[in-house]
Amino acid sequence: MSTIAAFIMATFTTPENIGVTPQSMLWLLPLVASISIVYKTTKLPKIRFTNFVKETVVLFGSIVIFMTITALVLVAFAWLVTE
Amino acid sequence: MAQRSRESHIAFLLVVGLLGWFVPGGGHLVINEKKHAIIIFVAIALTFAAGLYIGSIGVINPVGAKPWYVAQIMNSPAVAAIGRITASGNYPVFGRPNEIGQIYTSIAGLLNLLCIVNAVYWAHLRRTGDAGE
Repeated sequence: MSTIAAFIMATFTTPENIGVTPQSMLWLLPLVASISIVYKTTKLPKIRFTNFVKETVVLFGSIVIFMTITALVLVAFAWLVTE
Repeated sequence: MAQRSRESHIAFLLVVGLLGWFVPGGGHLVINEKKHAIIIFVAIALTFAAGLYIGSIGVINPVGAKPWYVAQIMNSPAVAAIGRITASGNYPVFGRPNEIGQIYTSIAGLLNLLCIVNAVYWAHLRRTGDAGE
């Protein structure tokens, strides 16, 4: 097996080192992008580049904003309960 | 005659669904939606690969994480082959990498399920002459 093939295999057999930190929440962004792209692909009968990008960005933004608001409400609720 | 036509219609829908499962975007390719097929393939393959990269192939665990595995296998039957390798327990993964990897690979599988249903629905509409998209 060549060195490159061995390296590629190794990257998929060893987990990355990700700590339980607030920054680890940023891993949701690529996932939201993927969900937005696939969902809009199934919804648009004809794909034109500008329209597709616009629709995807709007959906991506909506999901992120809604999740941020939900997180803030939960933080506020937790603060009220614990104070 | 009508019975035969109906049978061939159902067979075509099955082929579309199965191809969509074997290769993400395959169902859309069969119904001549090349752009849709390419976008779906790239997005789902990248999401699945990202999940495996973050958590290793150990996130596909048919023994200890069956509900996740059900969602993951929607990506492709190839996931079952990975599941056979990891079932031995030689690729343990814990903590945040496990969570993120499982979420990425499972969401990729559920997105592919959405695409399979969408491709079958479009194939049905086109065969029955109802354009209603």
